[in-house]
Amino acid sequence: MISGEVFLDVRELEPPEPLERVLEALCNLGPGQRIRMAIQRDPLLLYPILTRDGYAYETRCTETGDYEILIWSLKD
Amino acid sequence: MLLIFDDANLMVTRHSPAALAATHLITLGFTSMVMCGALLQLLPVLSGIVLPHPIRTARLIHIPLTLGAAGIAGAFLWNLPWLMYLSMACLAVSFGAFLLTLAISLWKSSIRGPSLFAMRLSLVALAVTVGFGLLLGMARHIPMSVSYQTFADLHPLWGLYGWTTLLIMGLAYQLVPMFQLTRNYPALITKYLVGALLMCIAIRTLVAWIPSPAEDGLARLVDVILALGATLFAIITLRLQWQRKRKVSDTTMNFWQVAMVALLLAGIIGFLLQIRGYTYSETLRLALGILALMGFAVTVINGTLYKIVPFLTWFHLQSAYPRLSVVPNVREIQSGFHAHYQMVLHLVALTILVMSCWIPSLSRFAGILWAINALWLELNMMRAARIFITVQRVARTLRPD
Repeated sequence: MISGEVFLDVRELEPPEPLERVLEALCNLGPGQRIRMAIQRDPLLLYPILTRDGYAYETRCTETGDYEILIWSLKD
Repeated sequence: MLLIFDDANLMVTRHSPAALAATHLITLGFTSMVMCGALLQLLPVLSGIVLPHPIRTARLIHIPLTLGAAGIAGAFLWNLPWLMYLSMACLAVSFGAFLLTLAISLWKSSIRGPSLFAMRLSLVALAVTVGFGLLLGMARHIPMSVSYQTFADLHPLWGLYGWTTLLIMGLAYQLVPMFQLTRNYPALITKYLVGALLMCIAIRTLVAWIPSPAEDGLARLVDVILALGATLFAIITLRLQWQRKRKVSDTTMNFWQVAMVALLLAGIIGFLLQIRGYTYSETLRLALGILALMGFAVTVINGTLYKIVPFLTWFHLQSAYPRLSVVPNVREIQSGFHAHYQMVLHLVALTILVMSCWIPSLSRFAGILWAINALWLELNMMRAARIFITVQRVARTLRPD
């Protein structure tokens, strides 16, 4: 049951702050919640961490050239 | 240290034993060492490429490179042929392993892009540099169709321009917009500059190799294009940094700005050397070498270390111990470096070193400043390593598995 979505805009942040922010958000993620992240680059380092910690994700390249990543727990 | 104790020989010509020892300690012991390590670490970040057996591969590259760098410097200083051959064998193993690992991974990867393209070309340049280096080392045993001096001129061209500068250009296309929050480099530059410059280096090599009546004119034309390419890259990078979105002071960016000004000056000297009256000026050639190697390559690498070492320290710790509060964030790791003051010292040391090309009495002072500068950077890198080991130890006690 999805109870909400956390939006994380890290486009203006210098690496590795985007990675730090999303890992922090994952720690505080409630049951059924998802994270929608807007980022300037494809975060290649994030994906193995998500897989290791039991999350699924979907990546989409937007018209502005930024990336939008939807993350949710596989337990939900 | 060589500048402090052997300043009289070092600053006279690029080909003195002291100058050759110092150059190889810097190019093999510092720039190539960091660039090889950084490539092994950055490839997964920039391209998602996973290298096979990373720790074993890194050791196979790192240990012989360290021995080879120290050995070759000793061989030049004390004129020891046996040490030269031993060092060359070490370097051949190290660069051979590095080139093979990277070549297999890069060529197998389906990911394309200007940075990876530049990496591929710079690896070709590294292979040629190593080849020429080995030939130079064996010069007294192998009959050569081209003069020793020609190889001695082509070896640094491939090493400093081909391997080092082209790789930094390719990485800059990704790292400058990513870390300094600038706009992207113009597509025309990212698409063609590195390829065109490597082609010029190849033409320059052929011109030196094959005697022809047009040799001198063609060589000058290619040298002008190479100087123009370096100048163009420096100006574009400085412009992007000037127009960046978030105007926050950043030490790594300051290092890059110093490096780009040095590259610009090196480019201008490159032009000057094509004007007849200046062509044989050993002082200008020495200044060009110092600006390109110490001013550009060493400065870029020094600045970038302040970004990637704290990042990798944090990244590996949080990967090994996810969600443990003892893992410090990147800013906490960076906080004790006082990197900005080291940057100021670096700039002063560089300025004095360049001035010592014209005022040789300054070279000993430049040597003292560089020794303190290098020690400061070393202590900062050791500090990051200490944080890594300490946190790892604490994390293991909290989570013994």
